[in-house]
Amino acid sequence: MRPFELTAPATVDDALASPGTFLAGGTTLVDLMKLDVLTPHRVLDINALPLRGIDAGDGLRIGALERMSDVAAHPGVYPVISRALLQSASQQLRNMASIGGNLMQRTRCSYFRDVATPCNKRVPGSGCPAIAGANRMHAVLGTSDACVATHASDLAVALVALDARVRLVGADGERTVVLADLYRTPGGTPEVDNDLRPGELISEIVVPRLDWATRSTYVKVRDRQSYEFALCSAAVAIDVRDGRVVDARVAVGGVATVPWRLPAVEAALRGAPATRASFEDAAAVAAEGARPLSANAFKASLLPRTVVRALLEVTEGDRA
Amino acid sequence: MISRLDGPNKVTGRARYGADNNVPGMVFGHVVLSTIAHGRITAMDVAAARNAPGVIAVYTPFAPLRLRTPVSPFLGATWVPLQNTDVAHYGQPIGFVVAETYEQARDAAMLVGVSYDERPALTSMRDGLATAQDAPPAMDGAPPSLAVLAPGVESIEDALAASPVVVEATYTTATQNHAAMEPHSAVAVWESGGLTVHSGNQGSDLVAAALADALGLDLARVHVVNPFVGGAFGGKGAASTPAFLAAAAARDLGRPVKAALTREQVFTATATRPATVQRLSIGADEDGTLIALRHDSWSSTTATPGFVEPTSHGTSREWYATPNVAISQKMVPLHVPPTTFMRAPGEAPGSFALESAIDELAVALDVDPIELRRRNSSVAPPGKDLQWSSKHLDECFRLGATRFGWAERTRRGRADGDWLVGLGTATAMFPALRFPASVRVTLRDDDTAEVATSGADPGTGLLTVLALIGAESLDISPERVTPRLGDSALPPGGMSGGSTATASAGSAIMIAAPQAIDELLALASGPGAPFEGAELSYADGRVLAADGRRMTFGEVLRATGRRSIAAVGSSAPGEEMTKHSFSSFGAQFCEVRVHRWTREVRVSRMLGVFDAGRIINEQTARSQIIGGMIWGVSAALHEGLEIEESGRPANGDFASYLLPVNADIPDVDVAFVQYPDTLHNPVGARGLGEIGVVGMAAAIANAVHNATGIRVRHIPIAIEDLLD
Repeated sequence: MRPFELTAPATVDDALASPGTFLAGGTTLVDLMKLDVLTPHRVLDINALPLRGIDAGDGLRIGALERMSDVAAHPGVYPVISRALLQSASQQLRNMASIGGNLMQRTRCSYFRDVATPCNKRVPGSGCPAIAGANRMHAVLGTSDACVATHASDLAVALVALDARVRLVGADGERTVVLADLYRTPGGTPEVDNDLRPGELISEIVVPRLDWATRSTYVKVRDRQSYEFALCSAAVAIDVRDGRVVDARVAVGGVATVPWRLPAVEAALRGAPATRASFEDAAAVAAEGARPLSANAFKASLLPRTVVRALLEVTEGDRA
Repeated sequence: MISRLDGPNKVTGRARYGADNNVPGMVFGHVVLSTIAHGRITAMDVAAARNAPGVIAVYTPFAPLRLRTPVSPFLGATWVPLQNTDVAHYGQPIGFVVAETYEQARDAAMLVGVSYDERPALTSMRDGLATAQDAPPAMDGAPPSLAVLAPGVESIEDALAASPVVVEATYTTATQNHAAMEPHSAVAVWESGGLTVHSGNQGSDLVAAALADALGLDLARVHVVNPFVGGAFGGKGAASTPAFLAAAAARDLGRPVKAALTREQVFTATATRPATVQRLSIGADEDGTLIALRHDSWSSTTATPGFVEPTSHGTSREWYATPNVAISQKMVPLHVPPTTFMRAPGEAPGSFALESAIDELAVALDVDPIELRRRNSSVAPPGKDLQWSSKHLDECFRLGATRFGWAERTRRGRADGDWLVGLGTATAMFPALRFPASVRVTLRDDDTAEVATSGADPGTGLLTVLALIGAESLDISPERVTPRLGDSALPPGGMSGGSTATASAGSAIMIAAPQAIDELLALASGPGAPFEGAELSYADGRVLAADGRRMTFGEVLRATGRRSIAAVGSSAPGEEMTKHSFSSFGAQFCEVRVHRWTREVRVSRMLGVFDAGRIINEQTARSQIIGGMIWGVSAALHEGLEIEESGRPANGDFASYLLPVNADIPDVDVAFVQYPDTLHNPVGARGLGEIGVVGMAAAIANAVHNATGIRVRHIPIAIEDLLD
């Protein structure tokens, strides 16, 4: 770790006035500083800022500094959100990590985390060893020739399925952005993860009201039962009436460079009977456009299976 | 049964491990590792590191700490860092930065620049198979390749060709790191010309000898202390890089030095279990009677060949009755991290292959896998006259089958909702060994006793076992016995390895205790003593005279003005080795659930029934077996160090080198059939530290096959192995 200056602004204005790297739970930032991947000169501890509170009145508003564990335990949170959170990291990490920081966490690509190797996301233009290297955990969707790193957040997948927005505050004022639009696929500039402007801070997450999202779930497929990132995950919410799917939301994780919404699957589900067969038909297009690497071609097969499993679980006892 | 004596200290944090020692004036060292797998270091730029805050010294191959290569009869040569510019694997220790604080040393280590003359590295086991070499002779001196053939049979090929049913398959197992909870570390202190090193290890006297050798010191001047060891598993047998560097730097700087590897560094700067490839051919009669067994093995090893995983020697050589057996062992030198013993070296990966192949034969013959094993149970290793001293494997299977509900098993498993459920089983064996060991038994004037030896308790329960056997041998309650371990100044207890410690140290106690009692009686009946001239006996901690007078040993000592009486007993393998073959045995069972859609494998039930002779302390014995079985789950479903083509470990940290978490492990059921094996040693106990891991991987793979119909011939088994 390199020496750095640590300050703790008391107000949002103070935080925005002094350039630096924001520290909330620290569960990603401190790790990456220890690994010499991030070497900020100034770190701003924002934990004293008034970005707290969970309001489940009309939709859901979550202060960016709320801890993952508190959000997961809140009774007004849609099941897909709490399940995504409860399958993330470990209890200890969930007690530390903030909800805004979760959305900003960096990829777990082992080359990104190892300064002895090239990485286009860490050092633009240095190359991507994952493409010909150890890429079992990497993405098959949204990739480019420069980067195939997977987005690691489970929560973001659930939020993208629910059309969540984030409220951002910056020196130029406030704005609200659809979360799915905030993330950037790597293209030729993998060093840019998102459209956050320099110095901008997430203040709040807003989930629009979706009454039928009380029927939702998050299925996470991984190499062990807990404390491991997804090989593939699926966030689904579904509106079933009289054995037919009225509407559905489907997003997947662990397979793409950004949280990956599946509008084609949603479209195929709409109006279809709530049966295993139609779920399978709808999920068949889930991996369309997948670009498998040497060790992760199985994800193209696992992805539709994960979607089907999630749909089956969430409609248990209510299928046609 | 008494509770683990070191338990309260460990769970309350009072146990002081090597790196927990802090000494006035102590400074901190941080190791620098190579970032290539093969080549030569042409230059190291240490100026920035040397000028960083708090830095005291930067040692490199260009400015080394002088160390000689220690050689021991037991471990062979131990590699010492910084002595030349050669790089033979990625993550090899190449520098040592010492600073006033740990953080200063670590941060300065990041500033060291290294230039290499890089050469092509061979890192892939598959690529290296073509240039495999014969392995050196096995531990028992057997040649790498050997065959035992029935009279009139020319070759194993002939025997296989003449077999009505033949099963042939190739199996592979992954490189593993011991990944003990306590990373390798050391605190080295020089005082009045002597060196004291606090460092977790498996035998303080062996590490003391290695350090004395490396530093060119008289052994009497080196003191190694390790009362607690945070896991070892074979990975702390040899002295570690931090121990060598801390000791040498402390001498150079005249200040105590602490050094510890980071978790990530442990993966390459210590040693690993080799990767293996194994080809099995089994020929049998239609009723399952084995006719021929062929087991060819390849093990990865270091570029300058080091440890080789003896998979065929450790299993097929001895496990089944077969008129024809042929085994071979080759090694594949690679530019990979050092290889060494890991819990059940040979037996664990070897049994994955053998016990999977036996299951494949059972499927091919449509015979129950337990019945097949029973039909081929051996009374002696093939081609050897020495019968097993005490073998109750069939009883382990019988008892286990009942306890586990084996009768419910169907050929194609069953379904529970969207989960496919399968059962699997496997045999486990591990040789019963002893190492030379000496133990001192001391009777003290406060009516307590001490049992002391230099050996280690790396979580095995040896400390508790010493107290129990000591108490039994002295006929007093265990609470009155203070066991001591982990100090090279004590009588040499050898290495805690090879599942030997209870049998080795226990036998020595049973020699030392009667000697101490004899001395006590001589003292008590000596001139001027309370029982002068009397015929004495000893029972219940007391000296007894024929006239009914009695005194505790403490009273005798006080009455004669003595503080204590001590005797050292030594034991070693002896004549018994010419009379019998010795092994522990076990039958292992598991139930797995595989998700119909997403194909995760989860173990839902496990049982192990073991025949390990007499069980001295059931609590610590069960803990050993449970830990081993969990490790077997890990090997089967999670664990494997992936070495990239560049030699870099792709998953050298705990975020990506997966071990099972609590949620992956169901209740683990353990049972023992207890037949004391006094043909092996007077204690009657055979080893059980390693056998728990042995059969699990095959049992799981066999259960996966039962659940899904898919035979996976490599471990760890991953989701993609079970997708269409």
